[in-house]
Amino acid sequence: MSEFYPFGGRAGLRSTFSLGMSFVLVFAIVPAVAVVVISFTDIRGLPYIPINWVGIENYLTFFSGAKLGYNLHALQNTLVFAFSVTIFQNLIALLIAVVLSTKLRGRTFYRAVVFMPTVLGVTVIGLIWSLIFNPSAGPGASIWSWFGANSAFFGDQHIALALVIFVQVWAGLGLAVVIFLAGIQAIPEELYECASIDGAGASKKLRHITVPLLAPSFTANVLLCIVGSLQSYQLAYVLTGPNNPATQLLSLAVFTQAFGGGTSSGSSQSQGYAAAISMVQFVIVGIISIAVLVYLRRQESKT
Amino acid sequence: MTTSSLPSRRVHRRAVAAVSVLATAALLAACSSGSGGSATSSGAPTGTLKFIVSSSDASDAGFRAVNAAFMKKYPAVKIQFDAVPNANFAATNSSRLTAGNVDITLAGPKALPSYVPATAEGDDARAAQAGVYVDLTSQPMMKRFSPSVLAVTDFKGKQYTVPTGVSYYSGVYYNKDLFAKYGLSVPTTWDQFVTLSNKLRSNGVAPLGIGGKDGWPAGLTMVSAVQGLYPSAQDKQSLDQGLWQKKVNLTDALPAKVLDRVSTMYGFAQKNFTGVAYTAIPAGFANGEFAMTADGTWNEPTIASAVGSKFKFGYFPIPTGDSAAANATLGGKVELTLAVPSSAKNKNAALAYLDFFSQPANYTKFVTLAGFASSEPNIATSDFLKSIQSYTKTFSPAWDTVFVSNPKAGNAATFPFNYVEVAPLGSMTVQQAAAHAQKDWLAGL
Repeated sequence: MSEFYPFGGRAGLRSTFSLGMSFVLVFAIVPAVAVVVISFTDIRGLPYIPINWVGIENYLTFFSGAKLGYNLHALQNTLVFAFSVTIFQNLIALLIAVVLSTKLRGRTFYRAVVFMPTVLGVTVIGLIWSLIFNPSAGPGASIWSWFGANSAFFGDQHIALALVIFVQVWAGLGLAVVIFLAGIQAIPEELYECASIDGAGASKKLRHITVPLLAPSFTANVLLCIVGSLQSYQLAYVLTGPNNPATQLLSLAVFTQAFGGGTSSGSSQSQGYAAAISMVQFVIVGIISIAVLVYLRRQESKT
Repeated sequence: MTTSSLPSRRVHRRAVAAVSVLATAALLAACSSGSGGSATSSGAPTGTLKFIVSSSDASDAGFRAVNAAFMKKYPAVKIQFDAVPNANFAATNSSRLTAGNVDITLAGPKALPSYVPATAEGDDARAAQAGVYVDLTSQPMMKRFSPSVLAVTDFKGKQYTVPTGVSYYSGVYYNKDLFAKYGLSVPTTWDQFVTLSNKLRSNGVAPLGIGGKDGWPAGLTMVSAVQGLYPSAQDKQSLDQGLWQKKVNLTDALPAKVLDRVSTMYGFAQKNFTGVAYTAIPAGFANGEFAMTADGTWNEPTIASAVGSKFKFGYFPIPTGDSAAANATLGGKVELTLAVPSSAKNKNAALAYLDFFSQPANYTKFVTLAGFASSEPNIATSDFLKSIQSYTKTFSPAWDTVFVSNPKAGNAATFPFNYVEVAPLGSMTVQQAAAHAQKDWLAGL
């Protein structure tokens, strides 16, 4: 049996592969290595300023007494954000996927509606929810007033992070639902029929058939979610600005340190410091991702 | 597997290698482009002039008007004007400068006082020292600007920037109709301000409008507090020096009073002001939701267009000092300062543009649209700016332009008055916020 090469023949395959590899090299690997290197320098945001090698000084600044409290707070927010988003997004997406996999009238329409937020960009989502949660005139304020309360929403220190988590879950549901739907559709119908014959109700079917056989989809979704939300700052930036202490995330700190500056966001550090923060974040994300991956793979192989 | 139609392996490997090299080279070269114009040192400007500024509706309109007039006078020049949103400006500026892809940009090099270590030097100052910007000191157009303004933008005896105007921001816009309705007059002392605000509140009108969601608009109350409690430039300079030399603590009586004033002003702000965006303030003011709003004179065109003919409005300094004499001036800053990078490809056109910009006829056009106060003498000003002339006779630099921030200090000591953490913007009391700022400030020294 002859081997099949896409693009016709080995030569074509190797050329296109090396073309792709050049892209990855130039746009992903080289910048990644460069970030590690510049985290050991005091490179600034503007060109032609002399660059000095400072060793681990940037890392020492990150863990220094002046900055540690703020950075730990940002890390705490990041972990709360990541785990909340992952748990809620996957639970809700699973339930929606189960509902949408049944023979529901208008099922295609509902699927389109659920998937729509994925198509909208971060700025559009941020604008929509900023308007909804406008404390003076938005729909959110109206609904709150039915319960006799009023709130500053994104300006309220206590609920700002919860609201950002809510919007992030809403924005990411579409993709998670699609992955779960694909997984559910791969489960053989006969299993459900057998279960019905044995007298199992809907919740028992969910617990003993759907969830265990969805393990690979779970792995994919949870991993994507955790890695994505540990680094995500776009929504927090658009909804609450770069300097709100309640929603300060580690990746947001990288952004403001590297590209901030001026009286609105305070003094800017060198970009070497920003690179150091992002290396610390890389290590944290790496450790958590590997731990989650190992755990989920083990769960998968159990079924 | 058949092998009859395969060419030799060596040709394959060479083809693959060639493709990779070409692809990598193409990708690396693809980034920067840029046709400048003629870089001749004299003669009429030609070619493309690349111009970036930080965007703001009023000043963008001003620049566009001058650009149109410039292109009309020199048809051989095409201006590529990019008004970049504030939040993205630093990143855009950095990448354009690195690529050598900009001819006029913003820069604000500020010389460090002697008591501050070199590590606190800002990017623009470092860049100016490294020769990133063209030295404009000997350019004839600089003579058109007011010496008092040039004294502020001077960097180690040289001029690297063209000051496009001056803005003041330690005051409030106030609704004259609402003031008349409740028989209120412009307050000149802190006690009068408090009494006035309480009266407004008891009549169901929010005294002050603050766009707290964006963070920095709440900082304007802090700037006003320092303006009233440390009125002269010398007072502020001494405070800055005292902080750097550890002679003044942020928990001392007068510095703590700054945060106390801020906290009181938060109390006068509209309900849930921490969630209201800065861009929603002009509409709220126009609808009479609040009687005053802490804002800068740069925003006057926007507020004027929001208010229209509904009511008359004015501007006065927030009287955070105890005596009328302390509250007699508005704190301000030199607005957008334009610089020409040394790496600019079309310096000729850039310098010609700046010369054109500073000519009184064109500058008047700009300043009228932008709402800035003039940085040149004898320029016709708007009625609004005339109305605040008594507060702006001598230029008083606002606190945030005097204070040198310490990048090594903790975050609570950025301004260094910790208005961000005072409730309800943050969750601390005035004493806690001041103590936190003091702790973070000391940690960096």
